[in-house]
Amino acid sequence: MRAAVLAFLLGPPLAIPTGAAMSSGFNRLLEAVVRIDVREVTFEQGARRFVAGVGSGVILSADGLVLTNAHVANPRAIEVSITLPSLERVDAKLVGWDHWTDLALIRLDLAEVKRRGLSFQHAAFGDSETLFPGETVYAVGTPYGLTRTVTRGIISNNRRYFEDREGVQGYETGSFNTWLQTDAAINPGNSGGPLVTEDGKVVGINSRAYVGADNLGFAIPANVAHRVVDRLTAAGSITRSYIGLVPGTLQDLERFYALALNTGMLINSVDPGSPAARAGLRGGDILLAVGGQRVDGRFPEQLPPIQDMIASLPVGSTVRLDVKRGNQTIEIPVVTEKLESRVGEEWAFEKWGLSVRKVSRAYARENQLDSDTGVIVLGVQGGFPAAVAGLIPGDIVTKINQQPVNELDLLKRAYQQFEAQPASLLVEAIRDRRVALYVLKP
Amino acid sequence: MNRFVRRVFRQVACRSVLARDPYGPGVRPSPVLTVLRAVAVAFVVLLPLRAADLPALFAERVNSCVTVEFLIENELDRQPVSVLGLCVDADGTIVLPPSAIGSRVSVRQLKDFKVYRPNSATAYGAQYLGQDVLTGWHFFRAEDKLRPQLVPVTAWVRDGTPEPRLADEVWGIGLRGKDEDFHPYFLTSRVGLIEPMPQMTAITAAEVAGPGLPVFDREGALVGLALSSFGQNYLMFSHRERGQPVVLVNVEESSVFLLAKEVLPYLGRIPRNPAGRPLPWLGAFGLEPVTPEVAKFLNLDNQSALVVSEVLESSPAEKAGLKGRDIIVAVDGRPLPRFKPDQTVVTYLEREIDRRLPGDKLGLTVLRDGRRVDLEVMLGDEPKIIREADRQYFERLGFTVREFLYGDGIARRTKLADQAGVIVDFVKPNSPAAMSGLEFDDWIREIDGHEVKTYAETVAALAAIDADKGRADFVLLTSRGGETAVRRVKLK
Repeated sequence: MRAAVLAFLLGPPLAIPTGAAMSSGFNRLLEAVVRIDVREVTFEQGARRFVAGVGSGVILSADGLVLTNAHVANPRAIEVSITLPSLERVDAKLVGWDHWTDLALIRLDLAEVKRRGLSFQHAAFGDSETLFPGETVYAVGTPYGLTRTVTRGIISNNRRYFEDREGVQGYETGSFNTWLQTDAAINPGNSGGPLVTEDGKVVGINSRAYVGADNLGFAIPANVAHRVVDRLTAAGSITRSYIGLVPGTLQDLERFYALALNTGMLINSVDPGSPAARAGLRGGDILLAVGGQRVDGRFPEQLPPIQDMIASLPVGSTVRLDVKRGNQTIEIPVVTEKLESRVGEEWAFEKWGLSVRKVSRAYARENQLDSDTGVIVLGVQGGFPAAVAGLIPGDIVTKINQQPVNELDLLKRAYQQFEAQPASLLVEAIRDRRVALYVLKP
Repeated sequence: MNRFVRRVFRQVACRSVLARDPYGPGVRPSPVLTVLRAVAVAFVVLLPLRAADLPALFAERVNSCVTVEFLIENELDRQPVSVLGLCVDADGTIVLPPSAIGSRVSVRQLKDFKVYRPNSATAYGAQYLGQDVLTGWHFFRAEDKLRPQLVPVTAWVRDGTPEPRLADEVWGIGLRGKDEDFHPYFLTSRVGLIEPMPQMTAITAAEVAGPGLPVFDREGALVGLALSSFGQNYLMFSHRERGQPVVLVNVEESSVFLLAKEVLPYLGRIPRNPAGRPLPWLGAFGLEPVTPEVAKFLNLDNQSALVVSEVLESSPAEKAGLKGRDIIVAVDGRPLPRFKPDQTVVTYLEREIDRRLPGDKLGLTVLRDGRRVDLEVMLGDEPKIIREADRQYFERLGFTVREFLYGDGIARRTKLADQAGVIVDFVKPNSPAAMSGLEFDDWIREIDGHEVKTYAETVAALAAIDADKGRADFVLLTSRGGETAVRRVKLK
């Protein structure tokens, strides 16, 4: 009763002026936004299991390319099903993904679309560079499975810095792009859906929000997405370069380093063993220029473009870094390497009740391990040999029957042997730097 | 003479000894003399005591127990500590359990020692003597005035007292808190289990004494010393929890005690200095016991073994040729015994080291690539430990620095040659240091762009900054988890 009264009281002043209608571009956009149902494999619990999730996406082309988030569709997905605005469902396949920008490209099964005589629209990118704080935007997607939900808000900030070491299902994200921040309501399920202007142009891909906060949502800018789409369409993946610099802001430090304002980027740390470390760079150095191009890393949101500039160099190329150290300015040539994720290949050994992830070079470096030998235990299943032996998640299995686990295949071969002819195996694992032995018994 | 009467004689005999020399039985009277005295006194007093006169035994034995209070002074606060202690000799030496003082606390932080007798509100002074490496006990010495009022626990030692066995009745003393004048109370239970852990340890059915206080048999003879109690598993039910498993530890009373033979030989190990130096040192990190399944796999029958995770740089173990991933199977030719739980064998080896002195030999047999290798380690003196480290607090800057120790290099996987700088030991909340993002355990490498090598150099540099009231800021290069960061500490 009270709610009804309130609604009545508040109704007239808030009502949208009669006769207002959305633009034709916006209406067309609505016909290009899809719901995405994904069934994906996980290796968390000592076994190969499946989890189902719902996200959103936007159709970008007449040949059925759909853009979404990498945390919605990625190589772990075994089934991707798309619900078109007509509510018809069509299967789709992964074209490529890029966790660094949290974007993935999937393609509708066009043969099926044709056979069933289905139709859809496709959306166009707008220019995310011209967005201004306060500009009205709309988020379209499937929050909590509520298909074709439109929420409205404004651009709250158009250059938000947001880096996360394990933000996309354990994968790194946000190092090479800034984000659009919006107060348009973004909830779980909105992921991958478009952020659009009133004319229906896609200016961002909604990706994340602070859970429990009021309307703090974040979207990947269209200009970043556009580039990623082009590269994923062409190659299925994006190769980036790595030199091993951990950047910092120069804000408040210019005087200490005797620098003119808006000059250079602070190098907070240099990854041990990285190309930059081998070239002699160290924490506290100031990066002035990359390949002759001057950089300005005064504020946090200025760091991703500099990182992107380095990442965009060809792998294996030599780049000249101009560096200020103390009163000296030095030129240091650095040879780039291929950028790798901290997340290695994952696998489950069902009869051992053990799921693992290969130790990657990045993981080894991050955790100060001697080498990238070994696999990380992701999960064990109670009552199965690995759990009975005493292995727990986080352990790093380094040897099996005295053989160093240099690659996942070695473990796979041992498992095949175990399946064919079950026999006890001696496992060496490291937990908090402590080496212990375990016996996997049939 | 039947057994019962013999026991009564012993009882009386010792009482008589005590009556004459109540504070001096650090050296036990010879057995012959004891028997003679016993016979003499027995005729005179005509067995005035029944063995079961527990209130009388209790009243006497209470005089071996004290409560020790002290303060641990930190940068901002003072943490009061109250622990039960045991008088062990005529010099007023008091022993506190290992857990009384955390391993990070330096001696300079310990303040205001007070010793209270049971049933008394009078505080006496005491001096901290140090921690013994083998037993872990902290030794104190009570001020002169108190000494005549204390009875060393050795007064309750009876030659020939049988070791407690399963189901034997034992008793001890608990002490209430300060608000109740440390009122002593009686506790009793029966022995439920006796197990080498690796020292012979008895577990009773219920709490039997305050942790750190003695345990007696029915006749009042000392049979052990209560340890900190073990955790017990319970399920907790409340309006929110439906059978949530919890572990409860009784901190006031204990149901675990070391048998007297594991205690008495060590009461004289009074440290010569607060750190308990010399500290025998092997230099092997992460000794991990094998399970019986692994032992069987390695063809080790009915014994335990320890995997060496890492051998520390320039340590005695390294010099003797011990390698990471060696599996220690024997000490001085004796196979490592199997204990329950498996982890106990780690303590066993540690005790084998700690009972020795730097310069002593330790024979180790290891399995390496399936072969047995015999090694002889000459133990060293352990590099400076954390409680010995120099520290300096800079209040205006808002943090404490501590000298970089050998152990800091191990924790940070840094070679000895690359070790320099200082470690942050404390950061005052909301201080300039805290606002810069500095955290406890950060490693400071540079100050204002200059590498700092020694502790003295660092303290001098920070003192100069602290003294310069005109300073607006200073810049640190710090390292955390292998990653460095530049931090600007804004002073105004």
